[in-house]
Amino acid sequence: MEDILVVENVTKRFGGLVANSKVTFSMKRGEILGLIGPNGAGKTTLFNVITGVYKPDEGRVIFKGEDITGKPPHVITRKGIAKTHQIVKPFNDMTVLENAMVGALFGKRAHQITIGEAKEIAYQSLELVGLAEKAEEFAVKLTLRQKKMLELARALSAEPELLLLDEVLAGLNPKEVEEALEIIKKVKEERDLSIIMIEHVMHAVMNIADRIVVLHFGWKIAEGTPEEVANNPEVITAYLGDPRYALRFVRRKGGEGDGSS
Amino acid sequence: MDVSILAINLVNGFLWGIILGFAAVGLTLLWGVMKVVNLAQGEAILMGSYVAIVLFSQYGISPLIGGLVALLVGLAAGFLIYWALLHKLVGKVEKITLKIEMSTLLAMFALSIALLNFYYYIFGSEPRGFGLWSIGLPFIRVLGTTIRTNILLADALALISVTIVYLFLDRTILGKSIRAVMQDAQAASLVGINPVKIKLLTTVLGIGLTVFSGFMVLLFEASVTPEIAYKYAPLGFVVVVLGGLGSVVGSLVAGIIIGIIYGLSKVVVSIFNPRISDPVALSTAFIVLILILLFKPEGIFGRKR
Amino acid sequence: MTGKESTLSHYLKSPTLIVIVFVVLGILIARILGMSTLDTLMTIMYFMGIALSLNIIMGFAGYVSFGHAVFLGLGGYAYVLLVYFVKPLAQLQNMGFGLGAFLVAVLAGLFAAVIAASVGAAVLRLRGAFFAIATIGLDFTALYLMKAIVPELNPEQFFGAQIILPADKIVEKDVVFNAMFLTLIILLAVNYYIRKSPFGVGLTAIKEDEDAAEVLGVPTTMFKIIAFTLAGFFAGMVGALFSLNGGGVDETLFNLGHSIDMIVMIVIGGLGTVLGPVVGSLIYFELYDLLLVHYPGVNLIILGIIVAIVVLFFPEGLIGLLRKYKVKGVRLRDLLE
Repeated sequence: MEDILVVENVTKRFGGLVANSKVTFSMKRGEILGLIGPNGAGKTTLFNVITGVYKPDEGRVIFKGEDITGKPPHVITRKGIAKTHQIVKPFNDMTVLENAMVGALFGKRAHQITIGEAKEIAYQSLELVGLAEKAEEFAVKLTLRQKKMLELARALSAEPELLLLDEVLAGLNPKEVEEALEIIKKVKEERDLSIIMIEHVMHAVMNIADRIVVLHFGWKIAEGTPEEVANNPEVITAYLGDPRYALRFVRRKGGEGDGSS
Repeated sequence: MDVSILAINLVNGFLWGIILGFAAVGLTLLWGVMKVVNLAQGEAILMGSYVAIVLFSQYGISPLIGGLVALLVGLAAGFLIYWALLHKLVGKVEKITLKIEMSTLLAMFALSIALLNFYYYIFGSEPRGFGLWSIGLPFIRVLGTTIRTNILLADALALISVTIVYLFLDRTILGKSIRAVMQDAQAASLVGINPVKIKLLTTVLGIGLTVFSGFMVLLFEASVTPEIAYKYAPLGFVVVVLGGLGSVVGSLVAGIIIGIIYGLSKVVVSIFNPRISDPVALSTAFIVLILILLFKPEGIFGRKR
Repeated sequence: MTGKESTLSHYLKSPTLIVIVFVVLGILIARILGMSTLDTLMTIMYFMGIALSLNIIMGFAGYVSFGHAVFLGLGGYAYVLLVYFVKPLAQLQNMGFGLGAFLVAVLAGLFAAVIAASVGAAVLRLRGAFFAIATIGLDFTALYLMKAIVPELNPEQFFGAQIILPADKIVEKDVVFNAMFLTLIILLAVNYYIRKSPFGVGLTAIKEDEDAAEVLGVPTTMFKIIAFTLAGFFAGMVGALFSLNGGGVDETLFNLGHSIDMIVMIVIGGLGTVLGPVVGSLIYFELYDLLLVHYPGVNLIILGIIVAIVVLFFPEGLIGLLRKYKVKGVRLRDLLE
């Protein structure tokens, strides 16, 4: 299968601080890639480089065979990459539906669809994440879980091929995490998506991801299947700290079923 | 070119710049600490001028005592402005968003409409000042130019006040808490600084100093009309942006720089066309503003944000 | 909840359009029947015009420009200088019941638009108060430059920055009325179109959270510049016709007072809608008149207090306030779009 995304030698510095250092990985179409690492490892920075918010100092980002390095965010969104924010950023004084419409109007088919069509797409995305009955509410009134789902719906409305999820599960209780995971699996199947997710809820990402990339102080220190990563001694010392945790993750992965829906 | 003209303009620009810088100290504190842009800056300055004028012309009270009263009136005005306008908008919020910033901008702007027209109503548009009192003051000759004592007095008072404010912010606990809130409001509240208290104090201090500066503006200009609000307020924004938000010393230095730029460009333009030297010189100040905003928005003394 | 149905009904019933048509017809009928003086109607249209022009950048995109009078002034000066120095244009003014004056005003508006587009590319990188202050800076720069340049253009005739058009270069006031009326209709249509278009949705997203909007694909820089340019263009046209109506132009057209008028009208009416500035300008006009008649001298003091009360207690303005309510199960917000 073709590579949907290739990140090649990406380095991003802020003054003297190196947030990403020669990060290289690629992902296949249809994959779910987990991006993990301790706080400050450079995960969100890497997302911002991929989506064009930051221009990398070195290296390239290749999406569907095309070099998109340093292109402005709105251009990259239109090419088919959508992102949710770690800290939710709903448009508070717009309704939930209008929020999702922004995604549709300026996403993959920007400037080609009417407001009416955008509403359709937005509504479908809201249904997919279970927010349809809140469509006419103002976004400011949503709970955190709903705001997270709105972030997801907004991104989905852009009709992306690659979806970047920045800690969508953070701040949710265990039951909500399970629900959100089901939703993510469902949208991946229905929309034929490739997904990269930054996640701290470790058992969740170990459970859902096909492969995992581990960043530490801006460097990629490991890459592989959840089992490989969890057993990688470097990861264990650098990130997991205690080998017993790693074992627990692997066990959960095994214990919680086959992961298909 | 006649060297003495250059000298006169530079000296005048320098002396005016000190006043300009001090008049912007209150503005820079309010903006830096609370993200409140005082659009009623010109009206606050006028408040100080008019208090001193009324006391002098109605009750025969010496302008110097009038200046002190102006300071007290200013502090009281700051107290009122905080509780009537600002508290509802910024009092309880931890992070001041763009939307809140816009609300405070509009609130201060409403105050400026009301105050400015109040002045027009009470004082009309004729120039008012200390009349014979300031004319009676002696002259001093510096570098071949005559300088009136009232100007030197205004500058001396401004410099003393800036020093006191600087020492207050740098040395006292209260001053240090103001600076702490300026740097990081959330962290400051974590170490037990009461943000509402600091915001109130900043408003009282900021408005008080601005009103007080109105007394010096009056001393410097010899007379004022409500129109000078349109001169000092926009130039105040230039000074604050150039000096860096929240920086007292930056404000003074930026004031002097703007004063000197004004003096210099006036000389340069008058070589080509003396009739247009004043408007062109004033517009250079605003061109400086826009350039600074675009290329060094943190100002010359501000921290990068 | 049926998303599809509400979509349709949403666009079928649009009382906003009805109100707009009503206001426009009202002005026309008042003019034909001579119910108000020409000056009153011109003032109403002028107020509505400046409020609707600023609305494009302030109401929709959330960029409060305190120096928007700069475009009023630039348009006014462009118009007066054009007809003063370019003979064919002076003649064109009189043609077609105001269509000629309208066309010259379009030229003046284009001049303002070119300035808006070029400075907009720079100042729109600033946000919040910095943007507001920068626009004040622009206004003062233009004011002082005009004071410097204008007297040089014709030292015998121009005193200071004031230019008075000679009798053969002005037109009848009812001709100006027609041109202004046409401008207002177009301005209303543009505002309405923006409100209903993807462009308007993008601008609203920028107002709510510019960074999030950019990542969602809104071309923020381009949208802001387009909005600012349109706002400058229409302010320029209104300034042009306002000057023509007054028979000349002077530097007071750059006064912060004009920016104040625009902002106050939008704030009273409500940001982000088309009806806001329309209703706001009507209220402002009445209020202005009423206060002036009953409380001469202190009228503007009272106005300031009213604005403060609106900002503190009704920050969304009249239309914003109404949008929150339901009447007989119908959400007013659907009606007031």
